[in-house]
Amino acid sequence: MKNVFAKSSSPLRKIFLVSLVAFGLMALDNSTSWLSPLYRVADSVVRPLYWITNIPARVQEWGEVNVTSRTVIEQENARLKQENLIHLGQLQRMSELAAENLRLRQLLNATELLMDSVLVTEVIGVSPSPQSHTVTVDRGSDDGVYVGQPILDAEGLMGQIISVYGGHSVALLITDSTHALPVQVLRNGVRSIAEGTSDYNRMTLRFVSPTSDIVEGDQLVSSGLGGRFPVGYPVGTVASISQKPGDTFVDVEVDPSAQLDRSRHLLLVFTSIDGSPDRNSR
Amino acid sequence: MNPVSLTGPVTLSLIIAVILQLIPVSGDWILWRPNFLMLMMVAWILYQPSRFGVGFAALIGLLADTLFRTALGHYVLVFALCGAVTYLLSRWLTYFSYFHRAILIFLLVIFSELIQSLLFSMWDVPMGLQHVPVLGFVSAVVWVLVDKFVASLNFIYR
Repeated sequence: MKNVFAKSSSPLRKIFLVSLVAFGLMALDNSTSWLSPLYRVADSVVRPLYWITNIPARVQEWGEVNVTSRTVIEQENARLKQENLIHLGQLQRMSELAAENLRLRQLLNATELLMDSVLVTEVIGVSPSPQSHTVTVDRGSDDGVYVGQPILDAEGLMGQIISVYGGHSVALLITDSTHALPVQVLRNGVRSIAEGTSDYNRMTLRFVSPTSDIVEGDQLVSSGLGGRFPVGYPVGTVASISQKPGDTFVDVEVDPSAQLDRSRHLLLVFTSIDGSPDRNSR
Repeated sequence: MNPVSLTGPVTLSLIIAVILQLIPVSGDWILWRPNFLMLMMVAWILYQPSRFGVGFAALIGLLADTLFRTALGHYVLVFALCGAVTYLLSRWLTYFSYFHRAILIFLLVIFSELIQSLLFSMWDVPMGLQHVPVLGFVSAVVWVLVDKFVASLNFIYR
């Protein structure tokens, strides 16, 4: 170690050299994918450490299962039974609507109905940087996961897979500043693009005209444009609309539906035609 | 007389720093979590300025880049600059009390966040600075533990 880090020249000279190398690396990394193998190696090396970092969460889960009193479990069981009954009732109504939708599409000679199958996955790692909103999940190419695959939690759309390894994958969340997804207002179908802001609780709609029919409280769902995200999944709710004097467009802030910094169990969506699993599609 | 190899303790301290960095936290805590890798790097340069310097800081920065998924070179530059400041001040800092070193860490964290903000703005990545005072304070408090930990490792492997 002494030979590697031994002092040989002045710190200022070293700083100058390191700065040159750093700027060169940044330019290379931002314009090419030549350095991506390095990230893959680092991911593989760091992965065993996720097991250790997840110990607090596992202890908490174990505590919730084993330390809870019988009365609380019985109450929760009764509540879940009631919720299940309500959901089953809603599902019957959904089946009827789906069948009606299919008949209408057939009448209109529309393209095939898209049906989605899902795979449950668990978050095993979260990006330590506040600027980079990514999570690592415990499913990889062995389970048919592919780059660009949408990922959901119980509340809404969370993001998409950006790197796939054998037994795990990395997903970019919709609030990452480099992420954008096409959305539409559920009420009237007005389309826009929702962009991340590096804030887990906030997204923005860019280039919205002041005359657009978007009001506070509007529900936004994925529009399916671009073919990356399936249509109709909840994305967020319009939290505020404001316009600075002199600006051509209004600033629309959106509260994401998904619990981006809390959800632990997620769903990987496999979009297929007529319900047949298509896990190798990209 | 050959100096004692510090590969083991340095590797151990870095693994601990990586684990602490990877523990999932939610809400604003992610903004206030200290950069443990940077604290560990500063501590080693402070205690072993004859062995660790800007090159060591740049290597830890490379590790941070792959861990934080930032553009490669981002933390290399930030860590190298912070490492250089620490290296230049190390001669005096060894005589300072824990409190005065904690103040230096507070200032160093603010310095590193300002550089990061500048670098992120080059790539159009938004980065607020509202969290920086709290982050600096939390880092200064945590620093006392990191300082004691690295000092004890140095004592054992002296």
